[in-house]
Formats: sequence, structure tokens, C-alpha cells
Amino acid sequence: MPFTKESVEEIASLHEEPDWLRKRRREAFDVYERLDLPSKIDEEWRRVDFKGLKLDGFRSFEEPDGAAPGLPIEGAAGVLRQRGSAPGKVELDPELAAKGVVFLPLSQGAREHRDLVEKRLFSEVRADRDKFAAVHAALFSGGTLLYVPDFVEIEEPLVGQYWSSGGGAAVLPHTLIVAGKGAKFNYLDEFLSPSLDEPALTSGSAEIFLGEGAQVGYVALQKWGRHAYQFANQRVHVGKEATARLFNVTLGSRFAKVRVEANLQGPGGMAELKGIYFASEDQFFDFHTLQDHQVGQTTSDLLFKGALRGTSRTVYAGLIRIEKDSARSDAYQANRNLLLSKQAKAYSIPMLEIINNDVRCTHGATVGPIDAEHLFYLESRGIPKSVAQRMIVQGFFGEVADRIPFEQARRLVAEELEARLG
Amino acid sequence: MADLEIRDLRVSVEGREILKGVSLDVSKGEVHAVMGPNGSGKSTLSQTLLGHPGYKVEGGRVRFKGQDILELTPDARSRLGLFLALQYPIVVPGITMNNFLRTALNAHRGYDGKDKSKSVSPKEFRTLVEPYLETLRIDRTFLSRYINEGFSGGEKKRAEILQMAVLQPEVAVLDETDSGLDIDSIKYVSEAINKMRGPELGVLMITHYTRILQFIKPDYVHVMVAGQVVESGGAEVADRLEREGYAQWGEEVA
Repeated sequence: MPFTKESVEEIASLHEEPDWLRKRRREAFDVYERLDLPSKIDEEWRRVDFKGLKLDGFRSFEEPDGAAPGLPIEGAAGVLRQRGSAPGKVELDPELAAKGVVFLPLSQGAREHRDLVEKRLFSEVRADRDKFAAVHAALFSGGTLLYVPDFVEIEEPLVGQYWSSGGGAAVLPHTLIVAGKGAKFNYLDEFLSPSLDEPALTSGSAEIFLGEGAQVGYVALQKWGRHAYQFANQRVHVGKEATARLFNVTLGSRFAKVRVEANLQGPGGMAELKGIYFASEDQFFDFHTLQDHQVGQTTSDLLFKGALRGTSRTVYAGLIRIEKDSARSDAYQANRNLLLSKQAKAYSIPMLEIINNDVRCTHGATVGPIDAEHLFYLESRGIPKSVAQRMIVQGFFGEVADRIPFEQARRLVAEELEARLG
Repeated sequence: MADLEIRDLRVSVEGREILKGVSLDVSKGEVHAVMGPNGSGKSTLSQTLLGHPGYKVEGGRVRFKGQDILELTPDARSRLGLFLALQYPIVVPGITMNNFLRTALNAHRGYDGKDKSKSVSPKEFRTLVEPYLETLRIDRTFLSRYINEGFSGGEKKRAEILQMAVLQPEVAVLDETDSGLDIDSIKYVSEAINKMRGPELGVLMITHYTRILQFIKPDYVHVMVAGQVVESGGAEVADRLEREGYAQWGEEVA
């Protein structure tokens, strides 16, 4: 059951989208039809194992079948819940609405705030990047628009929860976040579905724009079911003196191909990119990260940590790019992998592309099992091996999880990891 | 019968025999010093006693409280009442000292996450730790830091003794706890060990230098050279070593 032009029209109608957005979906669908699947000759896709992915095997969207299950997040300033491809439901603190904060299902945002959405949507996460980005732009199943006006600060996080019933359809949420000058807030995207036999196609892409001096924390927590194929692009545009803290947590899906990218466009801009992944059984995760220093005096700090069990495989490839005129930039990149079984395999490929010499750049990668000395130290204090191993893995993640920008997400991630370590 | 009985212990590391038949008896209430030059096998002895996987026992036996322990895992040996203060304490990222100590203590109490009555209460934990934080001059904030991370050499060694105080072993093996320590740290460490010393604790103190013996008076001194105990006696053995070094056993003066 291949994706069709008709399904593009159908989902646009379901969301009552304005003509300009409908047109954009059609254009993206043309790109999708034109592009081939990425080739293994392409370095980025060389190690990607599609494991029997059949793009024409999915329904184009998941028919509305009731309200999204509410998952409690304590003390959120706003929550958007979306089930499958049905438009989401929003709750927002009225005080924030009065301050001009816009928090809407993306299609409604496109209708009511064309000025905010039209020029930004799919400008950072472009439809023509590859066939999967194209199908995401053509058939995105809704998502979120969050706009926080200049100098508005929000104490509690805003939350997007996407739920899919998990069988056979494409569920492709998109998050668009626009932070005005000096705006300050945190956002959590949570992606969930049950593990069924039927494969699903999922995403969870985000475009985040930070105005001058804005400070934004963004956490994506991916818990798609074990039969999902995920293709996602999370990209932040960092303006002058702005600070972005992106945190990607990948736990679910059978297959995940995720790009996390910072586009540093203003002097004094800073991007912190952190990631945690925990792969088990036959999961395959591939992360490509980009720290793109387009202007000088910009800072980026990246740390991705992963643990692998079973026969899982992961790929991490990160590029630091420093443009010719980007003097006095500072970039750090590290990827650490902990192998918890002999059959698991992690590849780590750090890359630098530096055209200006007046910069500071550090990168490093490690892949290895639990340090035998660490284990002996804990065991020699009476701690049984299985408990010691769990503590060491928790500690390994804890070092980076402690950097999750806000408490609610920190707690949620800690609980997820604990449950998976069992 | 001694609480810890080492008989004709032979151990190899990467195919090379390091211990060539070591026998020692350590009972509760006694402090033994094992002295020897570098490479004599002192650390091999201590690591083997706790079951470090890098050391292969080729022969002999070790009994602790009447039980053959060479087949036991390191954690079981610890819970039985054996302790090792490492010569080079390592950093373990992401695990706080607090979590480490409490988990270890809970394991000793048989708490496996189920029966809460077996777990150590915060109050009891404080009662155990606080006096030794003071004796060892360890700042309380160390407990919320990751294991040994950012600790100076002396602080790491003092933290080992803090762990010993919390776990209250019956026999403690101190592997060159004094090496690399400034004189203040040696005093704090000695003070803490002397405080624990008594009829319920046996100590096997492995050292290269006689300096620490001025602070912790041993009941017995053994000299180990080339993987064997070549002499055993009272404190006078250390005095002679202080004057003459290891030369009499064909070793360079340390």
C-alpha cells in the first residue's frame, strides 16, 4: 500500500490546513517520488541496516481513533497530546496565553499564525534532504507550534506527547518552536507506542529557532514500540547570544536514524547537544550530529553516550564544521559507548572540518566493555556483580543525564533507564 | 586456627609466577605488617585475597573463618568480613560515594531491595560515617561526589579507610595505604585505624616503608622477597629493616 497523492490531500483535509501548507505537502510528495532510497555508497548511509524496511508497506496515516491517553507530567505549563494522525489537544496555562504564548497543534498554528510558521516550517529540516525527510514533510501527521514572545520566561516545562497505536501506519509528528528575544523556557517531546508485530514508520522531527539571547532547553524522549522505523531530524537555529540545550534520548524503535544538528548563526551563540541511547536485542540506532559554526565566537558542546546489549548495533558520526570567518569558536565533541554484550557493536566516527585556525576544537570517541577494575572495586566492597554492573551503567548515563535541562525530564529519563536496566 | 589462614599460596599473573608459596596466619585482634621491596609480590597477595580476576591461583589455599574462600567471588569474600584498601583507588564516574557506601553496606546486611527492614537507615548511616569523616578529615561534601573523582592522592587513600570504617571488616588488608601520603594524611589514616583496632579486627598491612609503623605498631612483621616470606618476627624485624634495608636478602636497598 504505497504512499499516494490522495493520502496527502486526505491528511491536509483532516487537519483543515490552509492552501499554502497543502501546496507545500504536495511539493514534498513530488520530492519523495523523485528521490531514490539513500545509497550504501553514501558515507552517511554506509552502515545503515534497513532490516527489511518496505516504504510502500505502510498506511499513509493513522486514522483518528479516540483521544490520546493522558500521561501525567507533574507541573507542566502546557501539554499537547496527539494520538496517531488526529489533531492534538492542548492545555495551556491561561496566564501564558495572556502573555502571548502560542501553543497549538501545528496545523491550527499554520492557519492562525501564518507569519510565524510559513517562513520557518521545513526551512531547517528540509524536505529534499533525503527520501525520508521528504515523506515526513509530505505526510507529517501534525505536531506542535510553540511560540514564546520576546522576554517571556516560563518556569515550568511545556510538553508534547505523541501516541501511536503502533501498527502499520506512518506517524510523523513535527515540532516547531520559535523563541523570541530573551525568551526562556524548556520543552519536552515524548514519543510512545506499543510494540506490535506490524512495523510502523515514525519520526519526531523538530525545528527550533532561538532569537537573540533566548535560552531554550529541548528534550526528545523516544519510546516508540519495537517495530517502529524512526527517521528524525532535530535541528536548532541559534541566534546571537542565545543558548540552546538539546537532549536526545533514544530507547525505543527497532531502527532509528536520527540527526541532531546545531546551526550557530549569531556571535555569542551556544549549543549544548547531549544524547543518551540504550540499545538492546536487535535494535539498530544511527546518529549523525552536526555542530555548524557559521559565524565566529560561537560555542558548541556535544556528548552522546550509549550502552548496548544483545545483538544491537549503533553508529555515531559527528561533524564539527567551522567556517572560514568563524574565528574564536570553541567546539567540543565526545561519544562514549559501553558494550554490555560480546555480540553488540558500536561504531564511532568523529569528524572535523575546520577552515579557520583561530578556534579550539576537541573531540574523542570510546567503545568498550565495562572496565574490569571498576567492577572489581565495587564487588570487593560486597556489592554483587549484577548490582555493580547496573550501578556502573547507571553511573555512565548519570554523568550526562544530570545535564538534562529540567527536573521533570531528568526524573522521567532516570525512571526509564532504571526500568530498562531491571 | 587463625581467622585468616594462607597456606603455600602460589599465584601467577599472565603466565608468570609471582607468589611462590606464601603462608601467613592473621587473627582478629592482631596487626601484621608485610614488608618487601617493589616486585616482591605484596600487591599480588592482597589482590588475590579479594579475588581480583587478573590473578591466577596455581596452588595452595586460603581459609577465612574456616571457609575455603578461593572459590568465592570478591563480593562474597567482602560480605564474609574481608576488606581490601586499594593501593591505587580508582575513579568510578557517575556513582556518588554516598550511593557506593550505602549500597555496599546494604549488601553486607543482606538487603536486596526487598525487605526494607534490612536496609540501613539514613540516621544509622550518619552515625557510622560521621565520626570517621572527622577522624580522617574528609569533608562531608565528598559523599555527594562521584567515587574518588577529583580527590587528591591522599584523599583517595583516606576514603578507602572511610569505607573500611563503614563496612567494619574482621580482617582488613591495607595495600600500601601509606605510600604517596603526606605526613598529615598518614597521621589521620593511622588515627582512624588505631580507633578501629581491637579484638574484633585483624589487619594485614602491606607496606614498603617503615614510616607508618611509627604510628601503627604491628604485633608481627613479615618480610617478603621474590614471592616468599623470608622472615617473620615481632616489631624488631622492622627496626632491623630500617637500618639494613633488604640487602641481606640479596635485594637492593630500597
